Amino acid sequence: MRRLLAAAALAAAALAPVSFASACELPADFGARAETLALALAYRPVPAPIVVGKHFAVDVAVCAKAGAPAPVALRVDAQMPEHRHGMNYRAQVKPQGPGRWRAEGLMFHMPGRWQFVFDVESGGRHERLVHDYRLE
Amino acid sequence: MRRLLAAAVAACLLALPVHASDSAMSEAVLLRAVLRHGPWPQPVLADPSNRAAEHPAAIALGQRLFLDPRLSRDGTLSCAACHVPNGSFADGRARGVGRAPLLRNTPSVWNVGLQRWFGWDGAQDTLWAQSVRPILAVDELGADAAHVARVMRDDAELACLHRKAFGAPRDDQATLVAAAKALAAFQATLVSGRTPFDEYRDALARSDAAAAARYPEAARRGLAIFVGRGNCSVCHFGAAFTNGEFHDVGVPFFAGRGQVDTGRYDGIRRLQASPYNLLGTHSDDASGKAATRTRHVELTQRTFGQFKTPSLRNAALTAPYMHNGSLATLRDVVRHYSELDPQRVHSHGEAALLQPLKLADREIDDLVAFLESLTDPNARAPLAAPRACRTL
Repeated sequence: MRRLLAAAALAAAALAPVSFASACELPADFGARAETLALALAYRPVPAPIVVGKHFAVDVAVCAKAGAPAPVALRVDAQMPEHRHGMNYRAQVKPQGPGRWRAEGLMFHMPGRWQFVFDVESGGRHERLVHDYRLE
Repeated sequence: MRRLLAAAVAACLLALPVHASDSAMSEAVLLRAVLRHGPWPQPVLADPSNRAAEHPAAIALGQRLFLDPRLSRDGTLSCAACHVPNGSFADGRARGVGRAPLLRNTPSVWNVGLQRWFGWDGAQDTLWAQSVRPILAVDELGADAAHVARVMRDDAELACLHRKAFGAPRDDQATLVAAAKALAAFQATLVSGRTPFDEYRDALARSDAAAAARYPEAARRGLAIFVGRGNCSVCHFGAAFTNGEFHDVGVPFFAGRGQVDTGRYDGIRRLQASPYNLLGTHSDDASGKAATRTRHVELTQRTFGQFKTPSLRNAALTAPYMHNGSLATLRDVVRHYSELDPQRVHSHGEAALLQPLKLADREIDDLVAFLESLTDPNARAPLAAPRACRTL
């Protein structure tokens, strides 16, 4: 049942249309966005664009939608779904203020479809948001 | 309109036969895939952990040390004994031989300054740390810091170059690290020259049909497989034809009776334990930024039996192949990927990517022709003499 719920949350995160009714504003210059029923997330790689084989960081902003508890912690990872592997590096996430984090030490070592995976903790629950990134 | 024209020109220039299973790959996509293997040469990566990385005295000192057998404990072996300068900086053996037989194939040091990790297992995170390793390894040069410091002190030319590049010697350990940093400075200058592939790639980039037509047809067909259904360029990525990371490609990691070469798995463990890594006190990078890869690299079960993707530049000159030298020729390597058994791939993720290519004989010939076109015709030219200290 837990797996089913997680899968449903995943699907919701991946497919949800980008229309935010948040209690906070996501930065306009964070181009990539994903959302669940309770959370809206935006991120930007630094430096951008991501280059194969070069380390980068990701600035992440997460907002709770109206009535939802505020996000308090974040974990960032990435994977290549078709290749069924992730990165060779573990990102370290540092808080940058309420709802803001910077994840450092990421590296995509192959071209192709990558998927960012954001695990957000809010109100004692974990929600997963995923976002595709195609790397040439 | 300009884009359409560019695509049309590219299609004519490429004239690449598209296999049925490549039909989804448009000419424009194919062109982009070819272009990202250049331009060449690429600038060597800056190494802030080595304050003398570009110092002419360090480069001259490094070249002298590279060729000098006095660096070994018994005065019989130099770096050049295995990284033979007129042998494309490899030794032609399946596995290296130092003071004793070694476990792995000797990789060429051509273009080593473009790498992020060093050694087949990436146990070193800088070229200078990689240069310390064989000096101290019992089966290789078998020396120690005191021995290296003595050699550097007792030779007036070496001592002069050492002072100019690094200042007055402090202690034996610092001198060992300085020698390794000089070796790194020299090796970073070993950038291979342009190849027939580079001429073709640049001809495509500037839409020069006449120049592109000089590239042999067999190599063109091989290139189409390489960037297309072969999936080779996923790992052999970019201008150096390597993504600099580690993969399990189904080459056995048993190294002999009861011996397993765990590759990247132990490589990461050795890296993390090394006093010469980028997190240690011998690094000159005060900002700590250069250590990002070392700080974030992750030891997982998946790394067991993975080995570094080698560059393919000058590969035709560095047989035999793979981390254990088990494949004698480029044809054997292509045949390996053609007949690969995914069951032998340890890593789940790699097995998804690596499927047997089932190439026809002519396609194997074509891929070999392409790989041979990555050869610098001057790769075996003798080294120029190092500069003398008094001229620097």
